[in-house]
Amino acid sequence: MDLPFIVDTFYRLMGALPVTLSVWALSVSIGGLLAMGLTWMRVSGSKPLEAFARGYIFVFRGAPLLIQLFVIYYGLSSFAFVRASIFWPFLRDAYSCAVLSLALCTAAYSSEIFRGALAAVPHGQVEAAKACGMSRLTLFRRIIFPIALRQALPAYSTEVISMTKATALVSLVTLWDMMSVALKIRNDTLVTYTPLLVAGAIYFVLNFLIARAFMAFEYYLSAHQRRRLV
Amino acid sequence: MSFADVIAQLGFGERGWGLALLEGALMTLLVSIAGLLIGAALGSLVAWSKLSGNIISAAVGNAYAAIFRGVPELLVVYFVYFGSSALLTGLGNLIGIEGFVGVPPFAAGALAVGIVSGAYQAEVYRGAYLAIARGELEAAKSVGMARLLMFRRIIAPQVLRFAIPGLGNLWQVALKDSSLISVTGLAELMRVSQVAAGSTRQPFVFYLAGGALYLLLTTLSNRVFDKAEARATRGLRRAAS
Amino acid sequence: MPDNEQSAISVVNMRKRFGKLEVLKGISLNAREGDVISILGSSGSGKSTFLRCINLLEIPDDGVVTVAGETIKMRKKPDGTAEPVDHKQVDRIRSELGMVFQSFNLWSHMTVLENLIEAPVHVQKRPRAECVEEAHALLKKVGIGDKADYYPAHMSGGQQQRAAIARALAMRPKVMLFDEPTSALDPELVGEVLRVMRALAEEGRTMLVVTHEMSFARDVSSRVMFLHQGLVEAEGPPAELFGASKSERFRQFISGQAHKAG
Repeated sequence: MDLPFIVDTFYRLMGALPVTLSVWALSVSIGGLLAMGLTWMRVSGSKPLEAFARGYIFVFRGAPLLIQLFVIYYGLSSFAFVRASIFWPFLRDAYSCAVLSLALCTAAYSSEIFRGALAAVPHGQVEAAKACGMSRLTLFRRIIFPIALRQALPAYSTEVISMTKATALVSLVTLWDMMSVALKIRNDTLVTYTPLLVAGAIYFVLNFLIARAFMAFEYYLSAHQRRRLV
Repeated sequence: MSFADVIAQLGFGERGWGLALLEGALMTLLVSIAGLLIGAALGSLVAWSKLSGNIISAAVGNAYAAIFRGVPELLVVYFVYFGSSALLTGLGNLIGIEGFVGVPPFAAGALAVGIVSGAYQAEVYRGAYLAIARGELEAAKSVGMARLLMFRRIIAPQVLRFAIPGLGNLWQVALKDSSLISVTGLAELMRVSQVAAGSTRQPFVFYLAGGALYLLLTTLSNRVFDKAEARATRGLRRAAS
Repeated sequence: MPDNEQSAISVVNMRKRFGKLEVLKGISLNAREGDVISILGSSGSGKSTFLRCINLLEIPDDGVVTVAGETIKMRKKPDGTAEPVDHKQVDRIRSELGMVFQSFNLWSHMTVLENLIEAPVHVQKRPRAECVEEAHALLKKVGIGDKADYYPAHMSGGQQQRAAIARALAMRPKVMLFDEPTSALDPELVGEVLRVMRALAEEGRTMLVVTHEMSFARDVSSRVMFLHQGLVEAEGPPAELFGASKSERFRQFISGQAHKAG
């Protein structure tokens, strides 16, 4: 048990934590917004929009994230017109490509979660709101969204945790996240287990904290389902 | 690079990577199946440990599931591949074999995918077992069925039946996770796409082609599982969907 | 010609089809202020559809609905169905009609009090304090004054339905619509809801009630409408219909209901 080595490894890995966390936070938020757009398309009633959303979800859920990442980072840069476009400074940067790719991927999974949550809103409660004269916007804001949110949280928390694990892939497109640092330590010192174990522990604790945060939020929102404390 | 050239590269001729890609897809299928089976073995063990009521084995099972759901799959691949190679090298050195002894990437990859898959399959099997009506098990006991026979004829078939939807899902996950095995150098679809992309300097074409083949595998898998589910739930009365 | 000045709600010649099936074949109704009209009929007679078409939860293919003198503007679509012209008008008229549903439909993520003030605050834009005060008074009136901060899931069916009635009352509606309000309740809870409805009727509220409760139809309503296969088969004061109705079908219907009541 080489304690100084373990501690040193830990500090080096924590140094890369901001990269992991920022990639995660950005891709989850951007992906979440995209997902709302996709879900809206899916339930819009417009055949072309629905078809596009279905196709998008099929592709981004069916192909491995790694290949999606490579298509965007390595693939797009091979086109002259991409290199000449205004997006180039953005698309040549590994960080932006990684965030973009992860966001596009989680959008597909999240969209299905949101769609399921919307479908689970009891139709009778929607009718009661309409019968009171609520406008479409008020109906969505006050009734549909709050109920759907509570429905979506358990499945969405799983998806968010999947995303922290997915960030490890950015090590394969030259980003210096925790995974990259762990591998470098292994390569430099030829010690196999320690860096990977410490990295694993950090990821595990991270996911544990995220899971707890979601559980706390779910608890806060579910007073109506718990037993009443008289 | 003209369009015709690109088509030639994708094809089966002399310069064509088509055959290699298909072979890669086959490898992907094989390693994923191997991983799923390993996961099935591990998952059933964990499910059984949780259902048995034995506190220690349940705790071990829970710990295994929690750990491998909470760490990146890529990390598990590295850990299993490098770790088992390190282990083997150490053992080799002990008996006098010099230098690095590598574990075959296929085995390491399948094991890694299987370990992660097992953590999720455990829940599927546990849920499927709990879904079997109590009464059926009591009926089996009351006609004097021995435990092993009951397991073979009543429990196992029913668990499989209820587990199919969940397993279909986890199969898709295994297929996609298998792409991570590319880091070990195994010539599965992801790795072949990578090699082809580098060799032809056409990353977009070949990563897209690889992606398309994965989608094909996904679609075919869906069909198979839908058929399996339809056959398995023949006798079940479902709530009107 | 109906006297529209005193008409709380009138429906002229309402038609509705679902695909090939014509569910409403031309139903008319005129309720003056204070009328309590019970709408009876066997399943498939169209009575719930009729009620739901009045506040446009279903869209009628034909017919004119007028609430407190205002007619809902509709236009015909090329496929023969219709649609409302002005959604703002629909929302406004809906806020003047209070609907009580068979399955209560209280908003599950809100307390009873929040359920009651939701529409008055967010649709009618009335000040919150006023709505809260009125809500408490209404809850007391329907007998669940102490349940203001309960969630619907923590109450019995009868309590939930009474809360739903209070919620409808909180909108200060001109007309109240009841869609089989007691059909989903356990028998011993039906009474408490009927009592509240009776009190409302005696107050002089205008009510349209689709129901299977013959006692309510006979004792509380000012008029009874019997629907059969999408048409009005019999209509009139309860004494007349329940006493000696000219309609054979209606007499069969009542005796069938009596059998069910056991």
